[in-house]
Amino acid sequence: MKQLPPEYYTELEEIQAVDFVIVELVLYLHTHPDDLEAVKQYNEYVKLSKGLKKEFEKKYGALTSFGYSYARYPFDYKEAPWPWQV
Amino acid sequence: MSKHTWYKTYRPYISPMDPCPPITVKRYSTPPELYVGYQPPGLAQFPAYEALKAGTLWKCFYDPYYSVKEMKKGVRE
Repeated sequence: MKQLPPEYYTELEEIQAVDFVIVELVLYLHTHPDDLEAVKQYNEYVKLSKGLKKEFEKKYGALTSFGYSYARYPFDYKEAPWPWQV
Repeated sequence: MSKHTWYKTYRPYISPMDPCPPITVKRYSTPPELYVGYQPPGLAQFPAYEALKAGTLWKCFYDPYYSVKEMKKGVRE
């Protein structure tokens, strides 16, 4: 079974860090809807997250299924490694 | 305003009828967010990667959850 290249992990961790910031900002914006700075920062991180995920999925396949990511041919979403095997 | 402490303690009542060895001091966590109330905008933030490790985006809400040993060793702030 092909082993994952080391940069798979660094890129995935980068996406994880960006998504964590997005989660924190969403929770903050729930109670501070009119904080312009936070909204700007949120949109900036969403753009960054989309870019990172696009690159990642081009190289390593879909991150999420059911319409959130494009599929490859043949459909390999079910192939290893699954998230807990990574 | 007094200095923030990560934990607070209290001494529960110990009954002579208690069969088990008594726990004389109970400790509970008191993270910073208990004392801030409505979060002011524009607080200092961690960079993304550090925020992931720290568990919060805002520096003032970071809680290191020091263990008893670390607290005894005179932990750095």
